[in-house]
Amino acid sequence: MRLAVIVAAVAALGASPAPLSAQEWKPTKPVEFVGAAGPGGGTDIFARAVQLAIQNHKLIDQPILVANKGGGSGAEAFVYVKAATGDPHKLVFGTSNLYTLPMVAKVAFKHTDFLPVAAMVFDEFMLWVKGDAPYSDYKSYTAAAKSANGTYKMAGALSKDTDQTLTRYIEKDTGAKFIYIPYRSGGEASVQLSGGHANSHVNNPSESVGHWKAGQVKPLCVFAKERMPKGAKVTETQGWSDIPTCKEQGAGIEEYQMPRTVSLPPGSPQAAVEFWAGVFKKVSETPEWKEYLERTAQTGRYMAGADLKAFIETDEKRTRKVYEDEGWLVN
Amino acid sequence: MTERALVSRATMEIATALATGAAGAAVMWGSIEHDIGWGDSGPAAGYFPFRIGALIVLGSLANLGFALWGRHEHSVFVTAEQGKRVLAFALPILGFVIVSLFLGMYLGTILYLFFVMVFQGGYGPIRALALGIAVAVAMRLIFPLWFKVPLLIGPLEAWLGLY
Amino acid sequence: MDNLGSLFHGFGVALTWYHVALMLVGVLLGILVGVLPGLGAPNGVTILMPLTFTMDPVSAIILLTSMYWGALFGGSTTSILFNIPGEPSSVATTFDGHPMAKQGQAVEALSFAFLSAGFGALVGVIVITVLSGWVTRFALRFSSPEYFAVYFLAFASFIGLAGANPVKTLVSILLGFAFATVGMDTISGSLRLTFGFDELLRGISFLIVVIGLFGIGELLLTMEEGLKFEGVKAKVSLSGVLATLARLPRYWVALIRGSLVGVWMGITPGGPTAASFMSYGLAKRFSRRRANFGKGEPEGVIAPETADHGAGTAAMLPMLALGIPGSATAAVMMGGLMIWGLNPGPMLFIERPDFVWGLIASMYLGNVVAVVLVLATVPLFAAILRIPFAIIGPVIVVVCFIGAWTVGASKPDLWFAFFFGLVGYVFKKLDYPVAPLVLALVIGDKAEDAFRQSMLMSQGSLRIFYENPLVGTITTLAILLVTWPLWAMLIERVWGVRTARVQPVDLE
Repeated sequence: MRLAVIVAAVAALGASPAPLSAQEWKPTKPVEFVGAAGPGGGTDIFARAVQLAIQNHKLIDQPILVANKGGGSGAEAFVYVKAATGDPHKLVFGTSNLYTLPMVAKVAFKHTDFLPVAAMVFDEFMLWVKGDAPYSDYKSYTAAAKSANGTYKMAGALSKDTDQTLTRYIEKDTGAKFIYIPYRSGGEASVQLSGGHANSHVNNPSESVGHWKAGQVKPLCVFAKERMPKGAKVTETQGWSDIPTCKEQGAGIEEYQMPRTVSLPPGSPQAAVEFWAGVFKKVSETPEWKEYLERTAQTGRYMAGADLKAFIETDEKRTRKVYEDEGWLVN
Repeated sequence: MTERALVSRATMEIATALATGAAGAAVMWGSIEHDIGWGDSGPAAGYFPFRIGALIVLGSLANLGFALWGRHEHSVFVTAEQGKRVLAFALPILGFVIVSLFLGMYLGTILYLFFVMVFQGGYGPIRALALGIAVAVAMRLIFPLWFKVPLLIGPLEAWLGLY
Repeated sequence: MDNLGSLFHGFGVALTWYHVALMLVGVLLGILVGVLPGLGAPNGVTILMPLTFTMDPVSAIILLTSMYWGALFGGSTTSILFNIPGEPSSVATTFDGHPMAKQGQAVEALSFAFLSAGFGALVGVIVITVLSGWVTRFALRFSSPEYFAVYFLAFASFIGLAGANPVKTLVSILLGFAFATVGMDTISGSLRLTFGFDELLRGISFLIVVIGLFGIGELLLTMEEGLKFEGVKAKVSLSGVLATLARLPRYWVALIRGSLVGVWMGITPGGPTAASFMSYGLAKRFSRRRANFGKGEPEGVIAPETADHGAGTAAMLPMLALGIPGSATAAVMMGGLMIWGLNPGPMLFIERPDFVWGLIASMYLGNVVAVVLVLATVPLFAAILRIPFAIIGPVIVVVCFIGAWTVGASKPDLWFAFFFGLVGYVFKKLDYPVAPLVLALVIGDKAEDAFRQSMLMSQGSLRIFYENPLVGTITTLAILLVTWPLWAMLIERVWGVRTARVQPVDLE
């Protein structure tokens, strides 16, 4: 009898109720935001900021769970979400690692497997040195590094990722040579610089703001086209907008930014992509979001649909070229 | 009172040494995909794994040697009686894993607890079924509902729209 | 004293009915998630995080840290009762805790564990209170060579050269190291030993190995012996708990040594897991009762528990002051700090003294609340052992596999858990020690990272491990401990003193 029920249930599988009509997709069970990095880092905070805004403004009526799957430098998250084919209740929150990871590691996913929903922020990169270091700008520091004959240490998060790429850019730009030392996170790199165990790092602003406030590290310049928007003072004398761009200090690097992206698993209905794009658009207009951008000193730029696809394609090609030159490509 | 040996200790020592040796060889094989040398900046990615693998192989060979030629009394790994008890416990676990993979952990749990309690514990089917369902309900409440940790579900739950 | 004044201010912040209520709720939830192997403090904190968005940061952190204390205490429960450590740091508690439970001393084992854990935590908070400024500066001196030396020290103090079967011990340790290298290599950014399997991307999970080796393996052994859980006759009552409390001061050496090891490992980046193993190893080496270790010696429960909680508590300081999380849970909480608008870092102490000192004051209160609550649950948990094995055995199996599933929601993990269960059974019967395997698995990859970072820094020169007095001292201590049997022999020869004769650290 009981067995019969189960058999019937299994048999009925083929005829399971069709999903809602294409126009109106809505989450019907708790939603999972899967962060492609460890807890406590930029990706985690990004996902939680989105969660906070959605929750405060009741943008969806299902609970949200933020789960960090940072194994394999974030590959774990992408593999996990890829396996949830067709289930738009699982969103993967990542960075450019969406398309750079498959280039450097033998992982079983490609960025084209996923349906990109939106890029919401671009994180800036800065050149940081120890608080009491005698350098005042990009030129003086890189010149010192050059004359030190490759003994200066550049700390960074992970290997063959954004930090190391930017370090290579700086080397090409100035002719200096650095010993790049990979740590597990930008936070660890920042502590190493504070303790004087490295000469510099290229952390995102939010990763080093605590140590900047204490005067243990200081930013020399930001790798952006323009200075960051005016805001409150961070230290006693300076705010983010007081930091010059590296370009104005004579660097040959125009800009270097890292997008924070959200993607859906393969096979998700187009309606779900549009639903989430709409939700994130609303998120990007909330006061919570503005506060998040200001606090983490990131640049808010909402991008979805065809724009996003085009952006990813160009950035993928550009990065691929660099990785090829470095001999990092495996796929 | 000598009990009949199902597996002798020497046999098991040999089998284990072979297994760890094979694991060591696999580690060595997996690490030669990377540079196994000591470069300008210290050990490369394959340096430690390769040597660890090699040492495991050496250690396993030593253990194999002890097992084959070492002096040891004819000791027993498991007696027939013990083996039966262990299998009686391990095989239902194996069944639980297989059933869970196809039907999900809830049904797997109910069937497993039912089977073990009725056929090994000697409980009545009603009590066994009640306990199985109680555990499954508790699992459902605690994991997916309170702590939002979804468990492995099968086709039945998917069809019912549960997660 | 400056810090004491701040602390009293902190008590003013923390001692409100609302905050005490939050502590109670947090601790109770924490005990619940700590007891279930599939859930842990990180899960609990993740769930509560959205609730805290609307709270003020002090209340939020009190709720989350109380949950953490509760989970730490709860984690020891399953180690003792079922030999299933819920967190890496409670592995060492199984070595003597579970034998005690099997001999009918579950109540004593649990009470000893909780009381000594509470003691360790208190010492940890006191150190934070008194030495916060100094500790922060000290922690900044640690770089990769020091990290490596600390891991080496932890390993050296646990692993004895004079084990019963050195070759088997060696194979076991090396297997642990080999498992630890699986997955992404931080230094080179390439995947190692995954053999093309996606399931191995994130590495071999500690929890799955331990659930198999300890949980399932132990159940198989229990079945083979035809034993039911014994000790159900033991009287379960609160007075048993109090009697244990009265016996605790006798173990003052273990308590103090455990606290010191714990606080030291919490401040240096060794962490609670390394601390508990190290404390157990030292206790076993230098205790007067060392012959009883592994057979149900209370000191073997007290030593790791004190160190575990001492380290867990002391590790909160580097998290707040430097932004380096000492554990997975601390990392989740750090994400929370950022969302609440706080930046972990040295200035947190100056900018938000109410937050920092409120938190520190709540650590005193929260741990006291946790010890009292968790002791009250001892009779309840001990009563679980009265359930016939035909019922509780399979239920433990189910809980083990749920735990394995929750690690990564991946089907092959169930097979891994089953496989490691068989391995645990065979290894135990053939005298392959499994504890060193677990320690190697937990700290192996961190140690390798630190070593290779050091080599990058020094461009391949090993002299970096003697570059400054700090790293030189730790390295020397570690080498002394590894070669301790030699020194003990020498001392005996020369002075004819029977020194702490090295008992083979019987690693089971």
